[in-house]
Amino acid sequence: MDTKEYIESGVIEAYVLGMATAEESAELETLRKQYPEVSQAVLEFEEHLERVAMSNPEAAPAAVKRNLDQLLAGEFKSNENGKVVTMPATSYTKPLWKYVAAASVVLLVGSSILNFYLYDQYQSSDKKYSNLLAQQTTMQARIDVMNTKLNGMDESMRIISDPTMKLVSMPSAKTGENFLATVFWDTKTKDVYLLNNSLPQAPKGKQYQLWALVNGQPVDAGTMDLCAGVCHMKNIPNAQAFAITLEKQGGSATPDLSQLYVLGKI
Amino acid sequence: MPALQTKYSESELVMLLKQRQQSAFNYLYDNYSGALFTVILNVVSDRELASDVLQEVFVKIWRQIETYDETKGRLFTWMMNISRNASIDTLRSKDFKNSQQNRELNESVYESAGTTELKTDQIGLRKVVRELKEDYKVLVELSYFEGYTQDEISKMLSIPLGTVKTRLRTALTQLRQHIKISGY
Repeated sequence: MDTKEYIESGVIEAYVLGMATAEESAELETLRKQYPEVSQAVLEFEEHLERVAMSNPEAAPAAVKRNLDQLLAGEFKSNENGKVVTMPATSYTKPLWKYVAAASVVLLVGSSILNFYLYDQYQSSDKKYSNLLAQQTTMQARIDVMNTKLNGMDESMRIISDPTMKLVSMPSAKTGENFLATVFWDTKTKDVYLLNNSLPQAPKGKQYQLWALVNGQPVDAGTMDLCAGVCHMKNIPNAQAFAITLEKQGGSATPDLSQLYVLGKI
Repeated sequence: MPALQTKYSESELVMLLKQRQQSAFNYLYDNYSGALFTVILNVVSDRELASDVLQEVFVKIWRQIETYDETKGRLFTWMMNISRNASIDTLRSKDFKNSQQNRELNESVYESAGTTELKTDQIGLRKVVRELKEDYKVLVELSYFEGYTQDEISKMLSIPLGTVKTRLRTALTQLRQHIKISGY
């Protein structure tokens, strides 16, 4: 007989799960006596099912055990209910220290097991705590970043909405390009703030530089670094126009006019 | 924490149960009540009702241990089948159907609002069955967990009886493989 085919037919699972017909069960019970591999397959599936039910079982409600103890009380044959046997007198002569020694061994074993258990608990708690700590640090870092951004935005809002600011819009210098940047010039303090509306990302090693045109002469007003919202540039007491050129990283002393991006007259 | 307790082999336990030893019954309960409760919850999702079934199952095990034949299967298999049969009988009982009707009338609103009731298809064997292909899953659900006969299933799903039979067999072999793969 081809036991492999039989084993893989699903009849064993049906039998173990109580879903096989009477004939199928009778046949299987005969076959498992003849073929050890059939018997083995049955046993294996039984063990698997037991492990499935045993892994993470739901705790049975305590009331069930109490009810059962009451319900079956008359049916138990426990040692307590058994015949009373008088202890031979010799048993009382055993020295007390033997009992104490036995008790302390039991206590020692119990305490060792408890230690292992507690150590295990401690380790897992410690790990959880470290994880939480790491999480907290990450969160704090994120909050710091957000705070910095938020402060930048607040500052920008204040500058943009300040009525003493003079607004200088700088459109593209070349026709056909559609760049825009805006200068906010504090008429009291003469501080200059720059908002990048739509300048393209500066290529690597290059940087945008703001120039103030004072009586036809370009005056360095600072390079545009990464800033949240509006960048604070240099103090310019007097100017007739502002312009932005693309310069090498760190800025130049004189503007490269072939790289003029935007220009705005006051 | 590991209990400081004697561990009985299955045959020792059966022998002591047959001798009506209370300690053996306590051992049986401590070791198997959780697993059998899981088996029952897979069928009867109402916890209170499932607790009643669990109690009934332990009474049956205790009183019918003489009929347990170890040449036909392991003790757990026997107990698991008692649990499943008792659970399905409960599902089929008149009391249960009435209680379900009342429930639908009284509690349907709360249920749809999302109660904390345990998801009984996410524990035990049903958790593994959920991973089967839809065609197979339906058949195992109806036949094993709800106790419908193949004939009834054939009518319910309008599938020929022969197809139900062969498909259910394939479903069971798939189930075995899933259990193995899941590392049980």
